[in-house]
Amino acid sequence: MERINQQFVSEGLRRARYITNERIETAIYLALALEKPLLIEGPAGSGKTEVAKVLAEMLQTELIRLQCYEGLDEARALYEWNYQKQLLRLQADEHRGLGWGEISEHLFSREYLLERPLLKAIAAPRKVVLLIDEIDKADEEFEAFLLELLSDFQVSIPELGTIRAVERPVVVLTSNRTRELSEALRRRCLHLFIDFPGIEQERRIIELKVPDLDARLAAEAARFVNALRKLGLKKPPSVAESLDWARALVRLGVGELNTDAVRATLGVLLKHEDDREKTQGKVPALVGRPG
Amino acid sequence: MSTLGEQVLRFVQRLRAAGVRISVSETLDAMNAVALAGIEMARMREALSATLIKDEADRPLFEELFIAFFRPPGEKREISRKRPGSGTSISPSSARSPGESPQTSRSSETPEPHPSAKPRKLGAERKSATPAQNPSAEFERLDARRGEATGQPKGEPREVGEQASSEIEAGRIARLHAIERTPFAGYSDLEYEQAREALGPLARRYRVRLGRRLRAAKAGRIDFRRTIRASLQRGGAFCDLRFRARRPRRVDLVVLADVSGSVRYSSTLMLEIIAGARAHFRRVRSFVYVDRLAEADFENGHLLMTPVLDLYARSDFGRVLGELWERRGELLNRATVLVIMGDGRNNRRPARADLLRETARLCRAVVWLIPEEPGRWGTGDSAIFQYAREVSAMLRSGNLRELEKALLEVA
Repeated sequence: MERINQQFVSEGLRRARYITNERIETAIYLALALEKPLLIEGPAGSGKTEVAKVLAEMLQTELIRLQCYEGLDEARALYEWNYQKQLLRLQADEHRGLGWGEISEHLFSREYLLERPLLKAIAAPRKVVLLIDEIDKADEEFEAFLLELLSDFQVSIPELGTIRAVERPVVVLTSNRTRELSEALRRRCLHLFIDFPGIEQERRIIELKVPDLDARLAAEAARFVNALRKLGLKKPPSVAESLDWARALVRLGVGELNTDAVRATLGVLLKHEDDREKTQGKVPALVGRPG
Repeated sequence: MSTLGEQVLRFVQRLRAAGVRISVSETLDAMNAVALAGIEMARMREALSATLIKDEADRPLFEELFIAFFRPPGEKREISRKRPGSGTSISPSSARSPGESPQTSRSSETPEPHPSAKPRKLGAERKSATPAQNPSAEFERLDARRGEATGQPKGEPREVGEQASSEIEAGRIARLHAIERTPFAGYSDLEYEQAREALGPLARRYRVRLGRRLRAAKAGRIDFRRTIRASLQRGGAFCDLRFRARRPRRVDLVVLADVSGSVRYSSTLMLEIIAGARAHFRRVRSFVYVDRLAEADFENGHLLMTPVLDLYARSDFGRVLGELWERRGELLNRATVLVIMGDGRNNRRPARADLLRETARLCRAVVWLIPEEPGRWGTGDSAIFQYAREVSAMLRSGNLRELEKALLEVA
């Protein structure tokens, strides 16, 4: 992987239209160069999953995604035999009077294997990006199982033998910290914490993704959202929501960010009634803040 | 080994000494990472933090040590010259030179006369923040003020200064993390408020776990769908039977929580968690007590009790047991799990452990949650050992973590 250098990463990120800071850039670069999984933590909607998508675009490869949830097991994450198909084949072969040796030989072949995301990523002929989303939602046993996989990138299937990764996939794990991840998993990964962007960074994101919005308005919107996040709300607005809001402002043809315009569109940013009530009274102060 | 490698090693040792757990393999990663990222200051910092700091709560400490360790002395003077008399901030490097421990640097900072009359506290709050992270002085001040308002749990000196960073969520997570481990004994109203904030995710997690337990079970009614699915593995023969627990489980919960001064916080938090998981029990009756029983209810996060208790009365669990016994016909049956939260401190009034024995005979189980640490059990006016003989289980619940674990065992 000689082509991976810092410049490649920052250019790639720019090309994929992802606005970052030094911290994110360095972490991505190191994950690629050291071939280590990257564990990303941060509040919901700060762009954790986006990193994986951008990585896939940057490396011009496929993104394989495993969404974790409580009760996720190996059969859903790794592989499963396609029993229905195997049974059909078995019945068909019986009619043809084949011996067991011949039958079993192809019955347990790749053709009857249902590849789930993890196996798919390992068996892929070229480098892919594997996104293990919300790992904190999965059970602890699954985490332990994942550890083994992440350290040697190989899977043993009793009937087939060991499948080794031809090219180690780029692994991105994300976590919202609904529960503590194990030390062992943390040790094996590089760690990146993505927080909400600062005002300047958010302004650039809004300008990039909602080019129709007036530049001055974009700056004001960024400042307003940033101030909202500091009010200690139940659910502070995410980046995705502030983009939605910017689009809403464009649609409504809002010329300047005044109290009425904000009050009318607050529902796009805040999804809890409590939060809205708490904010309503403060809108004039937040809007009137001098730049 | 190169000098840079040695530097990284020494830095790792410094971090370890400050309480961050770093393995050998992570150290190797860090060296490789620095070799790749180069020694440009900002890049090196991110490379080291990505490989060494796996918990965002350790980040402020890292920032502080990094500045103390890697900033060359020359640069320090340059920065302080660049902003002559800028009273609003003490530049992070000016306060500290490499190799100095935080203590000495702080004392060396005081004799140095500072050109402005800005309150010292604000500057100290912001010491660990680097200029690059602070997009606007305006919000920085807002942040610092917020930091002062929320405060920090006691006994966590290594998180000081984290409020100062311009990052919002990181600070919140570090706080939640700390509060789950703070013993209830060290609570004040401030800690209680923080615990309430942490309670949302915790209660949700509790509900999910309870719910999940109902879905898969070792015995019970056959789960038709999962059995069929499993049978496909055996060519359609029903070898593996899959079960599902009966639903709803026949658990009637009766909760008695001591709300007198000593255990007030833990009791209220427990009642709130249980109130959130109401749907998973057949029936829940919550009571609070000091010297008498009162029915408890939650409305918008506020504890309501009927009749209203005198919170400053002297607790008397013996009398409370008597009242419970009077109402046994209405409250207790074979499906009841009685949960008692309290420290068993009875002000030397009759303990009435005999009544607890009789009560336990009527219920399926009696579980006692005790927020006190084991060393203090049975000391002074505590009658806990008399009660301990009569209950099915004594579970420690000294902080939020332990409380959650104990409640899972109850269900």
